[in-house]
Amino acid sequence: MDRALARRLEARFGTMLAGRARQRHDETEIRIAASDVPEVLRALHDEPEFGFELLADLAGVDTGEVMQVVYHLWSATSPDWLRVIADGLPREAPRAPSVTFLWKGAEWLEREAFDMFGITFEGNRDLRRIFMPPDYTSFPLRKDFYLADDAARSPGAGVRHMERTHEPTNTPDDERLRRVRA
Amino acid sequence: MKTDTRHASADDPRVFLDEQVGIFEQIPPYPPQTEREAEFYTLRDGEMFINIGPHHPSTHGVLRVIMKIDGENVVDLDPVLGYLHRGVEKLCENADFHHTIAYMDPLEYVASLFCEWPAVMAYEKLLDVEVPRRAEYVRVLTGELNRISSHALAMGFHALDLGGLTPILYSFIERDEIVELLASITGQRMLFNYYRIGGVNGDLNHDFMSRLGTWMSRAATHIEANTGLLNENEIFVRRNRGLGAMDSQTALRMCWTGPNLRATGVPFDIRRAHPYSVYPELDFDVPTRSEGDALARYLIRIDEIKQSLRIIDQCLHEMPDGPITAKLPRLLRPRPGRAFASVEGPRGEYAIYAVSDGTDQPFRFRIHDPSFLHLQSFNLLMEGRLIADWMAINASLDPIMGGVDK
Amino acid sequence: MTVVARTWNRLTLPGKVVFTVVPLLVVLAVALVVALALFGEAVLEILGANLPIVRFAVAATAILLMTIPTAFLIIYMEMKGIALMNLRIGPDRVGPFGSLLSVVHGLKVLMKEDFTPTGADPTVFTLAPVVVYLSAVMALLVIPFGPGLFGVDMNIALLYFFAVGGLTVVGLLMGGWASFNKYSLLGGLRSAAQIISYEIPLTLSVVGVLILAGTMSLNQLVQNQAGWFTDWYIWQQPLGALIFFIAATAEANRTPFDLTEADSEIVAGFATEYSGMRFGFFFFAEYVNVFIVSALMVTLFFGGWNAPFPFPATSLELDPASLGIGLLLLIAIVPVVATLVFAAPFWLLRPAWPAWYGLVIGFVLFNLVAVAAVVGWAYVSFDWVAGLVWFLVKTYFFVFVFVWMRGTLPRVRIDQLMNFAWKWLMELAFINIFITAGAILVIDALSSGS
Repeated sequence: MDRALARRLEARFGTMLAGRARQRHDETEIRIAASDVPEVLRALHDEPEFGFELLADLAGVDTGEVMQVVYHLWSATSPDWLRVIADGLPREAPRAPSVTFLWKGAEWLEREAFDMFGITFEGNRDLRRIFMPPDYTSFPLRKDFYLADDAARSPGAGVRHMERTHEPTNTPDDERLRRVRA
Repeated sequence: MKTDTRHASADDPRVFLDEQVGIFEQIPPYPPQTEREAEFYTLRDGEMFINIGPHHPSTHGVLRVIMKIDGENVVDLDPVLGYLHRGVEKLCENADFHHTIAYMDPLEYVASLFCEWPAVMAYEKLLDVEVPRRAEYVRVLTGELNRISSHALAMGFHALDLGGLTPILYSFIERDEIVELLASITGQRMLFNYYRIGGVNGDLNHDFMSRLGTWMSRAATHIEANTGLLNENEIFVRRNRGLGAMDSQTALRMCWTGPNLRATGVPFDIRRAHPYSVYPELDFDVPTRSEGDALARYLIRIDEIKQSLRIIDQCLHEMPDGPITAKLPRLLRPRPGRAFASVEGPRGEYAIYAVSDGTDQPFRFRIHDPSFLHLQSFNLLMEGRLIADWMAINASLDPIMGGVDK
Repeated sequence: MTVVARTWNRLTLPGKVVFTVVPLLVVLAVALVVALALFGEAVLEILGANLPIVRFAVAATAILLMTIPTAFLIIYMEMKGIALMNLRIGPDRVGPFGSLLSVVHGLKVLMKEDFTPTGADPTVFTLAPVVVYLSAVMALLVIPFGPGLFGVDMNIALLYFFAVGGLTVVGLLMGGWASFNKYSLLGGLRSAAQIISYEIPLTLSVVGVLILAGTMSLNQLVQNQAGWFTDWYIWQQPLGALIFFIAATAEANRTPFDLTEADSEIVAGFATEYSGMRFGFFFFAEYVNVFIVSALMVTLFFGGWNAPFPFPATSLELDPASLGIGLLLLIAIVPVVATLVFAAPFWLLRPAWPAWYGLVIGFVLFNLVAVAAVVGWAYVSFDWVAGLVWFLVKTYFFVFVFVWMRGTLPRVRIDQLMNFAWKWLMELAFINIFITAGAILVIDALSSGS
């Protein structure tokens, strides 16, 4: 738990952080709006007092109410992992800026978040599906994705009758959507 | 389903297809969706597409790479993933915490313990559980054994992809002995399912200790003998030296970790940079080389095997007595919150980001795999190279598709 | 159904084979005997009049038939040899120590489904393995297996050999192109580039031998190396032999130059789309090629069918017919007595074993001794047996070296391979020619001056 890091972050980014930096075990967490992502991450990457050069992970999260993009960073200046949560993406058409200008390796990570959640990253030159076939229409890791219904809706040409064994259920989304305050 | 324009398949007349499969199929069979796709799928004069995989002896799993070649020169390439995508992250969202550990094993199946480790570490953070010291030592011991077996396999397959039929069988002697060792305590030769939240699933036994002692006494000489087959082999060295050279800044931008990053000169090892478990008490070096080519990556793996042997030695000498699991309630309800845990696996940083909503199932279980990012760099490494070089680069980067595709 | 149809349906496959083949054989045998009785004299006269043609036909047939067991043997050597080098066991079950496995493989490729891929050119696709195999077999016509044991003794035998070896390229290109597969195309082109590149050092490396011998006839070359092993051309042309060996490895598509069939890169190269007997032809052709280059290495540089040192001329005058009735008694008594004699030590020293173990061992040992005795007599009595034995021993030693290299070395890349051929081997071959020619001039000048 690196209190000094929390103070430095709050001092530098002040108003851009939604709430204080939270810390638990060896992680420090800050929340920002999606539109602030390029500025904050560039500051964290380039400024020598932060020096978060290594992007450990880029994940999409569907909390049931909003979508988030979560970045994990490591720096030699701090013993903590830094978690940057870009919060508040709407669930219908989530868009976030891309960080491929800092880390070219984030291209595929953003492709994966797009494929699984439908989050469009503006600035990513190659935003297409990575695991699912290119003509797939659903986003599997969203909380309103129900596998049996998706299989029942799929074309299933010719011999693949197994995928049409049941008709899509019409359970309203609210009842089976899991939510978390995260 | 369209029922009026169905064609009998040429292979089996009982099967009807909606579109007639022609011999000359477009690659890809749909218009390009992104700029990169458009750039890749336009052919200049003399270029052609060739498909490596997914069914291929050297792709280390089911990896498909569409290469644009001009004779033997590779102009561009586009890896296509997803042939082993099993939806593990979604499965884990509907499973208990204990079940998710078993789901983690088949991700990097040659280094399964390193896949379970960050999962149990993340849960321990969410549950605020402290792991007993003996359990930590057992985790480190078995983890380092798994690292040696994974590196031995990687070296063997590196040679096999280049045409040498013999070194793989020599490295599999070591690997076989190690998986037998681990089978005597975990019950499984490969997907171990050994780590538990708060400890491990069973103490070391006499069979394990005696076999480990026997193996350790000859492991070092065996490794020397095996590497002697390849290190001075002129053909092997010429195929690998200077191949796929990456410099450290580019490697950091491509989010590389593990031996591949250390081969480019960046001495980043999570066991030293962000220590976990009992690694702060253990004495080992972090081998680093600066050339960044395939030969450096191969040599670093050999050095890491030697360091792992040192760590195992220290673990055996310093292992304390005590319980091997923490006392936990049967039904686990972690606090609602988020936890991130990361370990240094044989291929790089293996990490889990777990979001818990207070129930006994994780809400979001994000798996971060290092090979995913290594595969992204093929374009950079294959500038002006031949098809045969792709095999060598792929083998030296050592991806495991189970983790890449989740 | 009729009785015949019902019986036929009840038979198993081997039964069907037997019931079809045996009557045919009987009919053929009867027909042959009748034909011989009626036309035997006339046929023999015609054959006697055209002896060279008959000799050539017999030799060509013998060589064609011989290639199959040779390929089987080399395949078994490779599987077992590489397995032992890999610390594995290799073929184990079929036959003693798995030796019949390659025979089973040969039968298996005959029984596989024979298809042509969609889009492939059927004529070219079918002819490609034939071309490759025939070029290998044609090259065997000129190799002298022993004194008098050769297909044709041409005075341009070496030139013919290299010309025919180049036909392989045509076959590989045909296979690669007609498969309608990009991998095959790559493999075919790689192989064409490789074989053509290494033809030049191959042919240049033997020019030294040609200068020394003054003839291209392989038979004459072997006869020039008669005598002690110090007369072999290896001592006079070490560089040439080395270049020849390396270039021959590339010509035969063997590791470390096996990138045409690099099974970890382009799956099976030109042979990706082939299965069944067509692949069998490619497969056999490769191993016959290994035999051929080993045989040529032995012929050119290691004395061919000559023994390393000249044995004193012995002759065993055996006349079994003079024994008369004693011969029949000998044939009846010797095996029994020998079996008992060889069984006796086992009976005495291993009382735990059942008695019939000893008898079986005794019989086997008697057979081995008898075969050794017959071979020894043949070796001493017929010079062609001695020559054949030495030739095969030396050739199979080199085949083993090829197998050894395959188990040990990784593969080179195509551009490294071409660099090596054009920038190193060709220059070395030229240097070898110059040195040889220069040395001959100097030695001639010295010997004529003094």
